[in-house]
Amino acid sequence: MVDRNTFPRLLKGSVLYIGLAAVFCTGCLLSDQFLTMANQRDVLWQVSLNGILAVGMTLVILTAGIDLSVGSVLSLCTVVCAMLLMDREWTTATMLAVPSMGVFGGLTAGGLTWWIFRHRTGRRRGIPACIAGVLGAAGIAGTGASAVDSGFSVLLVLLAVPPVGMVLGLVNGFIIARGKLQPFIVTLAMMISAVGLAKFVAGKGGQIHAIYTEGSGAHAPPAFEALASNLVVFGEKLIPVPALFFLGCVVLVAFLLRRTRFGRHVYAVGGNEETSRLSGIHVNRVKVGVYAISGFLAGLAAILYCAQYTQGKPDAGAMKELDAIAAVVIGGASLHGGRGRIMGTLVGVLIFGYLSNFLNLERVPSHLQDILKGVIIVGAVLLQEGTLLRWVRRR
Amino acid sequence: MAALLEMRSIRKSFSGVEVLHGVDLDLDAGEVLGLVGENGAGKSTLMKILGGVHVDHAGEIRLDGAPVKFLNPREAQASGVRLIHQELSLVPAMTVAENILLGSEPTGSLGLLDRRSLTAGAERAVRAVDPDLDVHCSVESLPQAAQQLVEVAKALAADVRILVMDEPTSSLGKSDVDRLFQLIRRLKTRGVGVIYISHKLEEIYAVADRITVLRDGAHIGTASAKDLPSEKLIQWMVGRNIEHLFPKEQAVPGEELLRLERCSLKDPDSDRNAFEDIHLRLRAGEILGLAGLRGAGTSKLLGAIFGRFGKAMDGRMWIRGEAILPASPAVAIARGVALVTNDRKESGLVLPMNVVQNITLAALERATRRGFLSPGLERRVVESPLEDLDLRAHSLDAAVETLSGGNQQKVILARWILTGADILLLDEPTRGIDVGAKSEIYRIMNAWTAAGKGILLITSELQELLAMSDRILVLHRGRASGCFTREEATQEIIAHAMTTSREVSHG
Repeated sequence: MVDRNTFPRLLKGSVLYIGLAAVFCTGCLLSDQFLTMANQRDVLWQVSLNGILAVGMTLVILTAGIDLSVGSVLSLCTVVCAMLLMDREWTTATMLAVPSMGVFGGLTAGGLTWWIFRHRTGRRRGIPACIAGVLGAAGIAGTGASAVDSGFSVLLVLLAVPPVGMVLGLVNGFIIARGKLQPFIVTLAMMISAVGLAKFVAGKGGQIHAIYTEGSGAHAPPAFEALASNLVVFGEKLIPVPALFFLGCVVLVAFLLRRTRFGRHVYAVGGNEETSRLSGIHVNRVKVGVYAISGFLAGLAAILYCAQYTQGKPDAGAMKELDAIAAVVIGGASLHGGRGRIMGTLVGVLIFGYLSNFLNLERVPSHLQDILKGVIIVGAVLLQEGTLLRWVRRR
Repeated sequence: MAALLEMRSIRKSFSGVEVLHGVDLDLDAGEVLGLVGENGAGKSTLMKILGGVHVDHAGEIRLDGAPVKFLNPREAQASGVRLIHQELSLVPAMTVAENILLGSEPTGSLGLLDRRSLTAGAERAVRAVDPDLDVHCSVESLPQAAQQLVEVAKALAADVRILVMDEPTSSLGKSDVDRLFQLIRRLKTRGVGVIYISHKLEEIYAVADRITVLRDGAHIGTASAKDLPSEKLIQWMVGRNIEHLFPKEQAVPGEELLRLERCSLKDPDSDRNAFEDIHLRLRAGEILGLAGLRGAGTSKLLGAIFGRFGKAMDGRMWIRGEAILPASPAVAIARGVALVTNDRKESGLVLPMNVVQNITLAALERATRRGFLSPGLERRVVESPLEDLDLRAHSLDAAVETLSGGNQQKVILARWILTGADILLLDEPTRGIDVGAKSEIYRIMNAWTAAGKGILLITSELQELLAMSDRILVLHRGRASGCFTREEATQEIIAHAMTTSREVSHG
């Protein structure tokens, strides 16, 4: 049966994809460079950093929270990353990174062991998990510490920098969960503190740390450049490496949300916290978990930033949290929690990316671009909520 | 003289499906009309049309004989039509006075807020409902009953002529209900026409002059309350005879499931005890009813048994002989305890989730294979509880918010069937659901006791409590004031114990 409500309802479900198609087609029509391989690759480049932050932000927003600190955490992590690559001694950066690696190693090894025992043998085993945790912590932190004098390899950087972000996320989550404080306030405070910490770690009032992959003195491993290159397929530079990281995060987190108990609990806590608690869900653990993941991903994005811009600086991520929030919201997640999908965020990130891209190609002045972006964010949300359609129908 | 309100052949469709098929309704000035029908019968839709919330309907509405068409709630209010919903529409942080004149605040010469006439206007309205109410205190600091009165005062301040009350007593204790009824009678003498919607038939008979019954969007009948026996009324509502509204089947009590000794809880919201020195025993196959006025501590008692307040409860407790004071709901759930709270939306359902996800919420483990959720397994796992409950959801993927109250409650019950709980703490399990669904829930409770589960039951409907309970423990201000067997208990005895303290007997 087709009545006058069917069409709007269909439209509401697919409005996101129609939006992406509309932005894409507009790009094609307005600019002849838009559809070239090089330009498409550029767009993927540009969206990847924001995309990785947005994936973490989606998890946080699904629990009805918000993480304003990801931009600052990214800044801090770029500084740490640059210093780990360039310095050959114990610095503020290594002193932050090595213990963080320990925390990360401990939680991962302990958590995995506990999970395997629980689901493969059906028993809850605390002691093996603790032992594995301690071993994991000691192992990874030890590896990090021993690499300080010889310089960090690319693999070690990947194991060292995201944990710094994760530890700050743990702090966020712990205060929010145990202190029963508003996520907005707690992460706002972290946003401010993390920039201060970044300046302190950088030293000399927050200097920029450049990264050289060649030269006569100490330099970063040349392999680091690979993180800012394109994946070559059939002799063609096809996909930028950061985009692979982004897509990897999308796939992993989508799996986490759909196929694990943790993922379901994320939706439950955002949908109704009290019901979740009364259903035996450990609400605090879920909250701490999502902020930790958000921080971890900010750290990962920081490494890619360093590779791309060959420097780490204390203001690298300024305002980046807002772009991430915008993308998540365009992607249809509700700030009230409990509603939203990773696919939505992926599309939201792409809409935002394509929009900036063709505005740049058309040389629209940046102030106009900003105004337009604001309008588009509000318009997108109005469309999602169906408000715009109601207004139109009432006329 | 024309009637105050006439609604003639009202029709209304949602998405092409007609939900009201030409309904008539009349209301005279100074009359209370009871509007009853099962959930989904169309009562709320009809009232929303009257209140200007729904605008695209067919049919005619006349006020004092003159046809009117409201385009929005404001216009309806301007003509003196006021709706009071189940969920209150007050702003918790604002004062009583500010709430009462919200939207029509008096302004002074410069267009600034005139505080003095605000207070005066509010006081005039409040005096009619409750002379003791302080208009300067914030609404959130008032008990639920007083908030309900503020809502009525708000309607009075706006010169109400037709007042629609949709389940106004769902959160009120008995004495507050009496106060509300007195107020309604005073409104009658002032010539206000009241439309009273409730699932509680006792209340309808207590307050209504005439009764109109809707079923499946059609007007079934209207009769004066005196001439309509309750059997006939129920038959009109459900379209068939319900032989036994309360089909109690007694099970043979078995082993002890739960025991409390000298249990007390400091009220998290105030400094006095929510309940103190409570003793009770629950055996397999038994329903122990808990009776008490609002604030008597019965709901807190169930919450505390379930670990809802952390380690705040003092005393000793045994679950199947194991001494334990649950520090969190997770601990209680692991020992086979289940809590159905009295507020489905606040603490029962996860509204954005679908039916399946709501059911598996507390037993996700059963839907995992090798540590990962399996959507196929999840659907298979919910099949058997759904069958037990005869749950009629259009689809398992339907959002729970689209289900009727009765079906929502069944979703919550299904959740606890899935965890295999055998100590069921039910707080108002039949609140706000229609007669048909109620009797199904009683049937489920019988099936549970027959299967050796034990139930602690709270319900504000005394009839229901008396009919379903094997024993009844009465609380008064947090202390046990009586415990009665099924044979001893009568409405009078229970009501008396609910209002007087007595040092006594244990459940």
